[in-house]
Amino acid sequence: MSLDLMRDVAKPILAGFGITAQRLKKKKVTISYPDERREQYQRTRWRHYLVRYESGLEKCIGCSLCAGACPARCIYVEADENTDQERYSPGERYAKRYEINMLRCIFCGYCQEACPTGAIVLRQNFELANYERKDFIYTKEMLLEKVPGEADECYNRVPTIR
Amino acid sequence: MHGHKTFDSSALPRALTERPRILVQPLESMAAVAETRLVTITINDVELQVPKGELIVESVKRLGLEIPIFCYHARMKPVGMCRMCLVEVGFKQPDGSVRKMPKPQAGCTLPADNNMVIYTDTEMVHRDRKGVLEFLLVNHPLDCPICDRGGECPLQNNTIFYGPSTTRFTELKRHLPKAYPLSQYVTLDLERCIQCGRCVRFTEEISGDAQLAFRFRGSNMQPSTFQLLDFDSKFSGNVIEICPVGALTSAKYRFRARPWDLETSPFNCLECSNHCSVWFDHRAGKFVRMNGRTNEAVNEEWTCDKGKFGQDWINDSNRSVKVMVRKGDAFAESTWSEAYDQIIAAFSGGHCAALIGGKQSNESLFLLGKLFRDGFKSNHLDSRWTRHLTDDALKLAPDTIASLEHKKTILILGTSLADELPMVFLRARKAWFKNGTQVLNVTAKANEADAFATQSLRYDEDHEADVVAGIRLALEGAADDAFALVARRAQVSAADFRAIAKELGPDTAIITSRSIFNVGDAGDVLDGLQAIARKTGCTFNCYAVNGNDAGAEALGLIGGQGSLNTREILEACVNYRVKALWLFDCNPFDLYPDHHLVNDALESVAFLVVQGSNSSSLTPYASVVLPSAAPAEQDGSYVNMEGRLQRGKGMLQAPGDAKPSWRIFSELLLRTAGGTPYFNPSEILQAIGQEVPSFAGVGDGELLKSAVAGGVTA
Repeated sequence: MSLDLMRDVAKPILAGFGITAQRLKKKKVTISYPDERREQYQRTRWRHYLVRYESGLEKCIGCSLCAGACPARCIYVEADENTDQERYSPGERYAKRYEINMLRCIFCGYCQEACPTGAIVLRQNFELANYERKDFIYTKEMLLEKVPGEADECYNRVPTIR
Repeated sequence: MHGHKTFDSSALPRALTERPRILVQPLESMAAVAETRLVTITINDVELQVPKGELIVESVKRLGLEIPIFCYHARMKPVGMCRMCLVEVGFKQPDGSVRKMPKPQAGCTLPADNNMVIYTDTEMVHRDRKGVLEFLLVNHPLDCPICDRGGECPLQNNTIFYGPSTTRFTELKRHLPKAYPLSQYVTLDLERCIQCGRCVRFTEEISGDAQLAFRFRGSNMQPSTFQLLDFDSKFSGNVIEICPVGALTSAKYRFRARPWDLETSPFNCLECSNHCSVWFDHRAGKFVRMNGRTNEAVNEEWTCDKGKFGQDWINDSNRSVKVMVRKGDAFAESTWSEAYDQIIAAFSGGHCAALIGGKQSNESLFLLGKLFRDGFKSNHLDSRWTRHLTDDALKLAPDTIASLEHKKTILILGTSLADELPMVFLRARKAWFKNGTQVLNVTAKANEADAFATQSLRYDEDHEADVVAGIRLALEGAADDAFALVARRAQVSAADFRAIAKELGPDTAIITSRSIFNVGDAGDVLDGLQAIARKTGCTFNCYAVNGNDAGAEALGLIGGQGSLNTREILEACVNYRVKALWLFDCNPFDLYPDHHLVNDALESVAFLVVQGSNSSSLTPYASVVLPSAAPAEQDGSYVNMEGRLQRGKGMLQAPGDAKPSWRIFSELLLRTAGGTPYFNPSEILQAIGQEVPSFAGVGDGELLKSAVAGGVTA
């Protein structure tokens, strides 16, 4: 078998370029993450947030039902009593400590389902990578939205591509 | 089934529904009452025999069935207030047919009788239960997520199993104060109350202080204290546990955890000598709460407030966590080996002693004794802190707590039972309430036992010896003149002495506690009571009061017979005959009446080891401070005041450097006397069984040998 330069080398290369050339007509599927990000589905379950009422009071009442429902047992809740001087949530009880171990979490969303006040929600923000194991313990300060409505918008602040 | 559709219940074993058969199950309670007549009843087409008059709510348990309940409690009289236990009832007619009552009946107030036919699973019963629950929930707030009872709540459970799934009630619910503090321990939420009356009946029937009662009528009915005073009971914690909703909750447990957050382990409370069986609930390595655990021999299912709410020291910030050694004028953190070296240097040579207190396990105490005898060549150990110290060896009480229930008469002398021996108090009260036992309460001050005592005798404080002498005179039938001296000193008339003496007989138990050794002439009191016991044939119990005192005595950790007792040890410290002193989990300033002597002794002694779980005011005196684990942090066995050996398991991690006491002694024993060290408490308990006859072959929950055989040995 002798090597035919035309048939065995040039033609396959040209055929390959042909495929590439055809692709040039089509819409690009890749995006330049993280400068651009793809929009997530509405009900995607990623990062947890503790949300607030319009009034600014926390929705979480520290009932620990999320911890009870959690199949990975990654939620730790410590409750305390509201006083008139120090009020965090409506009613008698609020969460003094609220921690989620993101390494254990399986993002099943049972906590969201169990929550009687809709305080814990899972939103589209999926960028949860970190360097230290201890940084994966999300404390109440990290989970609690700073202003009402933040949880719904946090992901969309960066430009997204449809 | 006469046209009645029965629902297949998964709770009912298949074998029982298929083939009617007769079951005869003589229960223990039936054995006790020999003449109990059996009657034949039919439950869900299953025939069975039960004692006549047994409540239907109990009878169904024999078939493994359950009737939902709220107000019914097996240890209290039925009242039929909540109507949750409705069942269909009929009677078998001579022709074999069943004639049903037109309306459902409350199973908790229905005594079993011949030919009775019960249906617990018909459509009607299901509908009735649903209706009852719907009514109960009309005024019950939807508080479950923040309610401390949520997750272990009978109302939640019954609603899930038997109740409606939705509510039809759209009107305004009843609104009442929330989180009203009934006392420092008990919080009342009136909105949640379903008016079952368990708490009210508990204070009337069990604790006997009748602190709670219902006010108002109908849906406004609410449990409350009289004149809204504090709920001032020594057993108030129990109403939290028996409340079937979250109306009565613990102020200390308030919002601390949910039931599913908690890990629980069986434990024995060591706050007094009764050693109640409890559930020890902990979360993330911290103690959270304690609840009663059923143990018919000791506490039935009750606890006292002193134990239930007195466990905070386990989580206290003053827990001793570091080995400390004195270097010159300063205390410095150190290592176990350095502390051991110093201790061995100071204690070798025999001029040393140990004082013991509190809640230490038999294993620790046994090894301490061994360490002193074999390692340090000293026999000066004492665990008693009373003013009067007898040389007598083992003195366990002949009457168990449970046996008090069937006494004809109980004479309480010189002790406030509810304070010192709470479970003996509850048993004595139960004996009076259920079996008509006469209780004679002879104490210097009024106390809770007066409420049910047939005779209460007050005397001038610190004159117990005269009272005992007076009773002895009355037993001997002395003339009025003979009483003159004792009557004047004790401020009791001869007639009163005679009235007490008249009741004493062979079926009498005399109860007093070790605190009687703190009164003047305690020796005379003891001798006198023993003489009374001999003369009348009654039993005499002088129960230990604190922690594991009974265990320490059973192990021989008491002075006398050649070794120094507590007072002599303290005196020997003052005049430098004892050069090294070991304080094992005790603060002599709290325990010993003579503070000057304690202060002098601690200042004079050359080397002082302070070992305990919490740091105390003794640290400034100490040469070495050793941190040791709390009872919940180590395995061990304990002996209660009736001589019952109960084993406990460690559940928590000891903080910092703290070690179980037995391990400290085992390590020291290895460094001094040598030999094979003990590696775990079970091994030590085995060794105790071999060396101490009263422990030989005694299993968990059994009485020590001497306690079974013995009575008081003087």
